[in-house]
Amino acid sequence: MAMPATEAAHRIASQALTWLHTQREHGALPPDTTAELAEPDSVYKPLGETALAASLVLREGVAGSAELRLARELLDFCWKQLGGGAMLHERLLRYPMMTDPLETYAHFARCDYRHEALDRLLAHTTSLRSARAAEVLPNRRLAVANAARIGGFDQGGLATDWAALSRATWLGACPEPWLIDWMTAYCMTHTVFHLTDWGRLPSGLPGDVAQYLTRWLPAWIDIWAEIGEWDLVAELLIVSNCLAEPRRDPVAWERLAGIQHEDGLMPRDGRPVGDDPAERFAAHHHTTVVAAVAGTLAVSRALGARS
Amino acid sequence: MVAAHVESAQDPGAALAAIRILGADTFAPVVLAGAPLHPEDAAAIALAFSALPPGRDVPLPPPAGPEGPWLMAWRDWGTVTLLTVLTGRGGARLTAPRPALPADAAPADDAAGWAEWSVRMGQLSTLALPGLDGPVHDAARRSPLALARGATRAVLRRDYPTAARIARWLAWLRSDGVRLPLDAGPLVEHIGLLAGGDRPALDTAISRRLIAL
Repeated sequence: MAMPATEAAHRIASQALTWLHTQREHGALPPDTTAELAEPDSVYKPLGETALAASLVLREGVAGSAELRLARELLDFCWKQLGGGAMLHERLLRYPMMTDPLETYAHFARCDYRHEALDRLLAHTTSLRSARAAEVLPNRRLAVANAARIGGFDQGGLATDWAALSRATWLGACPEPWLIDWMTAYCMTHTVFHLTDWGRLPSGLPGDVAQYLTRWLPAWIDIWAEIGEWDLVAELLIVSNCLAEPRRDPVAWERLAGIQHEDGLMPRDGRPVGDDPAERFAAHHHTTVVAAVAGTLAVSRALGARS
Repeated sequence: MVAAHVESAQDPGAALAAIRILGADTFAPVVLAGAPLHPEDAAAIALAFSALPPGRDVPLPPPAGPEGPWLMAWRDWGTVTLLTVLTGRGGARLTAPRPALPADAAPADDAAGWAEWSVRMGQLSTLALPGLDGPVHDAARRSPLALARGATRAVLRRDYPTAARIARWLAWLRSDGVRLPLDAGPLVEHIGLLAGGDRPALDTAISRRLIAL
């Protein structure tokens, strides 16, 4: 990677992480929250996403010591919010078919935060035929499989058939690159995230899929950058860095660097960003998480930390 | 057909100018569908050049010179070259100098600049015909991926006229035996079904013929 793009990626990741840390209390669960989690997407999901970003900063280990400390504090904060895993355990007890407790837990398990009773319960629920038979989108099935892999719930007879799961996705078919919409693009990015465990295993992509992505990512990044879909552009830059031969995309990095706010917030799209701190958090938290992950992986791949 | 059109046109000058704009595509029925080239048609095309003579100087390629005259010079080159091929050396006395290509004639297959380059190639799509070959065609042969990305980008931006022009180069490459990074057939059909307007219809009709070769 040319140094200017790596510098931009480093700056973006560092500022995004700082913003996530500064704003973390906006992601705190309301005091009366129970494992019922009536609105899991609005309150509980952002905690998991923050944990994802923090866990990947710690896993890659390419940030400075100040950033590593922020990441550790963020992960601790999220873990504490979830009662040290107790809330995930309680939620899975009530809803044994739900996959979000496992998927959230994976971000902590990645950094060896474990909850014994949750481990026992997950070892049981993930072993059931039910876990593989649930009717979900193919890329969602990969999300669950990757979470099981991170948590160590895919051992013995429970080994995942990654080839079959990847072939079931849109991306696995290597479809016409000129027919892709916004939602399908998100399905595609997530297929890559989970097959490669967020860039840890570039070889998790079948060879023809990797070639397909190398060919068409530039066109997709170009069109979604043109209309300011920054959240998707940042996800596409993660995909670039999940390839065995990561792509550089210097123009896209420069553009992202140019639209990131001074405090580290990464706008999700080209529309104006409001002033209300809670609204800013609700609207732009996801994109800032994606920016932190994208920048971290780009720096890591440029340094050859994971070649 | 060409001569009859010029003779019946209310404004023969405009009809002659249209021949120059249409360029080598005037011969598409001849080179792609086996239609005969009537001497009157060849004469009408020659008349388009004597009535509206091209400038004496060969325009410099962009960015050294403006894009418009340079593109026109390439169109003229294609028309005159194909007329000469079809009528034999002695037939027409027309000549058109071959313009130069910009220094960045073709991006390496995975280099930056593919988007702008593919759009410019699309503006030269009238050269994508059997019987014509030269530096522009060699540039297309060197960069099928850049053209495929450009066509993909244009379809996704719903810029179907540009998509049809770039896809025509992919169809030409296929007829030339070049391996493509995508299947040009469904792409051309898709553009043909979604595009409106005469120019995309012409480019698509030519692409279909090229694919069928």
